[in-house]
Amino acid sequence: MSEDRRDVLQGTLALMILQTLETMGPQHGYGIARRIEQVGGDGLRLNQGTLYPALVKLEQQGWIRAKWGASDNNRRAKFYSLTPRGRRQLTAETKRWERVSALIGRFLRPTEGA
Amino acid sequence: MKIRVALVRLREWLRRGRVDADLDAELQSHVDHLTDEHVRRGLDRDAARQAALRDFGGVAQAREAARDRRGFRPLDAFVHDVRYALRLLIKAPAFTAAAVLTLGLGIGANAAIFSLVDAVVFRPLPYPQPARLVAIWELVPTSPARREAAGPVSREIGTPANLADYRKARGATAIAGYTTTTRNVTGGGTPERLVGEEVTPEYFDVLGMPPALGRSFRAGDDRPGHRIVIISHAMWRERFGGSPAAIGASIALDGERHEIVGVTAADFRGVSQLYGGAPAVFWVPAVFDTQMLTNRHEHVLALVGRLAPRTTPAALAGELRAIAASFGASVGEGFSVDLAPLRDDVARDAAPLMLMLLGAVGLVLLLACVNVAGLLIVRAIARRRELAVRLALGATRLRVAGELLTQSIVLVACGAVAGLALAFVLVRWLLALTPVTLPRLDGVAIDGRVLLFTIGISALTSAVFGLVPLLQLGRTGTDDALGTTERVVAGSWAGRSRTALMLVEVALSTVLLVGAALMIRSLATLNQVPLGFDAHDVLTANVRLPAARYPDGNARYRFFEAAAERIAQLPGVESVTFGNRLPLRGGWTSGFILEQIDGSLPADSTTAAGFQSISPSYFDTFNLRALRGRSLSAADREGSPAAAVVNEEFVRRFLGAQNPLGRRLRRGPKAPSIEIVGVVSDIRRGGRLADVQPEVYLPAAQTSLYPLWLEQIAVRFAGDAAARADDLRGAIWAIDPDQPVAAIRTLEDVLTLGQAERRFQAFLFSLFAVLALTLALVGIYGVVAYAVGQRTPEIALRMALGATAGSILRWMLRQWLVLVACGTAAGLLAARLLGRTIESLLFHVTPGDPIAFVAASAVIGAAALVACLVAARSATRVDASTLLR
Repeated sequence: MSEDRRDVLQGTLALMILQTLETMGPQHGYGIARRIEQVGGDGLRLNQGTLYPALVKLEQQGWIRAKWGASDNNRRAKFYSLTPRGRRQLTAETKRWERVSALIGRFLRPTEGA
Repeated sequence: MKIRVALVRLREWLRRGRVDADLDAELQSHVDHLTDEHVRRGLDRDAARQAALRDFGGVAQAREAARDRRGFRPLDAFVHDVRYALRLLIKAPAFTAAAVLTLGLGIGANAAIFSLVDAVVFRPLPYPQPARLVAIWELVPTSPARREAAGPVSREIGTPANLADYRKARGATAIAGYTTTTRNVTGGGTPERLVGEEVTPEYFDVLGMPPALGRSFRAGDDRPGHRIVIISHAMWRERFGGSPAAIGASIALDGERHEIVGVTAADFRGVSQLYGGAPAVFWVPAVFDTQMLTNRHEHVLALVGRLAPRTTPAALAGELRAIAASFGASVGEGFSVDLAPLRDDVARDAAPLMLMLLGAVGLVLLLACVNVAGLLIVRAIARRRELAVRLALGATRLRVAGELLTQSIVLVACGAVAGLALAFVLVRWLLALTPVTLPRLDGVAIDGRVLLFTIGISALTSAVFGLVPLLQLGRTGTDDALGTTERVVAGSWAGRSRTALMLVEVALSTVLLVGAALMIRSLATLNQVPLGFDAHDVLTANVRLPAARYPDGNARYRFFEAAAERIAQLPGVESVTFGNRLPLRGGWTSGFILEQIDGSLPADSTTAAGFQSISPSYFDTFNLRALRGRSLSAADREGSPAAAVVNEEFVRRFLGAQNPLGRRLRRGPKAPSIEIVGVVSDIRRGGRLADVQPEVYLPAAQTSLYPLWLEQIAVRFAGDAAARADDLRGAIWAIDPDQPVAAIRTLEDVLTLGQAERRFQAFLFSLFAVLALTLALVGIYGVVAYAVGQRTPEIALRMALGATAGSILRWMLRQWLVLVACGTAAGLLAARLLGRTIESLLFHVTPGDPIAFVAASAVIGAAALVACLVAARSATRVDASTLLR
């Protein structure tokens, strides 16, 4: 699996999408964008169009699947949901992030653990 | 994981219309939701929409980014390139036709020849674990008389006595013996003579092919009088309708009832069939008397063994040699055992020819590639400006290279398709042409492996072609190509590479021409070899009389005498003869003792000669000349003094200057003494490829002189002998309607068959050479025509300054013919170096045969001259005034 590690935002975005689907259940693109913006608050400025390449990739990897349905405003929308493999991927990625952030945390506050 | 993603991508791409529409709808839906949101916050519809698009940040970009993420772009580009390549090919029909045909010929010829070679040489044998099967031969010290011709040892098949000892070898799970046999199958309908195998009990176990029905042979089945048989699946279907009741039923072989104990598997083939023999349809246990089981000189059983697990052929050979060493004096000094994988052994005789064909046809493909490369160079030049413009406008080199590569691939794919179609036709044609003596021909088919091979060639070729435009592109600085120096630079580079290609073409086709010339010379030499007998308009047949009805030699003689009389009454018959073996149809060699002049026997008796028992008309039927003494006559019967006629070679070898008439010989110390009463001219009994052997002709009527069975009959007709088979059969059946009349063939047919392999190889080599020559001519013409085109202004200038058309022509020809001469010289050198590899395929012609070399050079020289002349002539038609303006 070739995750492009330099593309940090992309990788982060994928994780955010997966987590959103995990917490909120099946969502359409607009719903995912709203949720990410809500959670991110001012700290995140999302260009909503960039969501779609990420969704394509997640779908190709088999981590999410899509289905057309009707949204709350009674519009046709494509709903994405996590697949079992997507859920496994989310768990693995979450652990990795926790490890990395803990490590970075130790680096930035080196005295604390000593 | 990666493959899965790739498959998903491919599936999405194949449904890309729907996928794209889906994406558009999804993006639209997103924007609509955003718009709704803004409307809810109080904006009017239009303003809300503007705000939504702003928030979204570019629908078109998002769409493109998503498509890119799907990986459509390279695939789209490929499709575009393929379409573009096809358009280009269609727009240049002459180039396309030349290239596709050239490639098609090369690939088609290769696929066809590979199909043949694969079936004969490479394909595994049709038995389980075929690599574990080995053929076992005995290396037997030759008698001093034969040593000169045959070398110190001769390869012989095994003996039953030795096999009994070989069975002790632990390196083999089992070793079996087999030999082909023919039996009359009588009762019901036309009597037939069918081919079968006599085998030792282990045979089916060794091959790993137990009968599909009933049982295999087992120890004890090989006792005398125990008449059992295993029949082929085909015979079972044909004679017993595939009924299981066949087991326990019986068939009559040579008039004796044999109980059927088994039916072979449907795809089972006897080992002798692999060697090119007729398919066996029955198997009987080989039965040997005590004499055979103790005499180590009776080489009557071919041996095949299966290696024990974890044993190498070398280990088994060592073990067998150790066993053979214990035979001691009974086999003679120098006796040994040789062992080869069965597959290699089967292909032993055919392999040199097959590999040579593969090499020759490979050269043809190489030539085809060189030719197409030449064509592509010209096109690369022609498209140089276009490519340069595109590079200048910002196309990446990678993109343009990919496009060029695609064009090569498309071209090669077209060539491969044409080639494969051609291969199907060629294979059928080859099979119709191929001598039946080649082994395993029934396996020839264009199958997946051949397909793979062809695709492999195509891939290789496409790599070569891909290189040409890339090289060209690599050298093209865009400024340079767009600038004024273009023609000079491009022209000189392309000219040089095309000249080099032309040299290669000339050299390659010279090699093939020399090969073909050598083969044709061999065939011509062979056809000039005198047979010593007249084979025209002679029809021959075999009648193998069963012991049950014709128990002794006299009974058999009476049958043939009566048949001959009957046949002589047919209209148009000039002469009839019969014997044990007739010319071109085998023979019998026996040791003999030449009595000294005083009647005593010499101490050394290691002499052998062909012994044939014949009816007196033999010499007339085959037009042998009587040289001294008398011929045999009807008076030489049982009861009259034993008489024989010998040939010149006999006298030359055993009597020298002594007078042969009145000398006596005998086949053994206690055998009857026979007087030599005459000398006849020599014949090549085995055909043109065979040597003249010493021969002794015994009168068939004196049946006590020989242990042989009379079984062949020959009739000379005044006209078309081939059409008289039914008459011959009818006359024989008038004597005994139960006897199958087998192998009815004219002697000319037998002769043709014997030389079929030589003719086949000469024909194929000539075909390849002609193909190569044609390709080379196209190449030469292309180079010269191109060069002439490049130099038209120069030529126009020369002519304007007073050069005549003739002098221009001579000037141009001189240049090109020097090149052709260089190519030819290189080809001749290569042919000389390669010569040794085809030595075994030649007959009385050395690989360096000067006539073949001169002929090949002359052909290529003359052809090149014509090609140059045609191409160069257009130069002299240049209208100077228009060109110089």
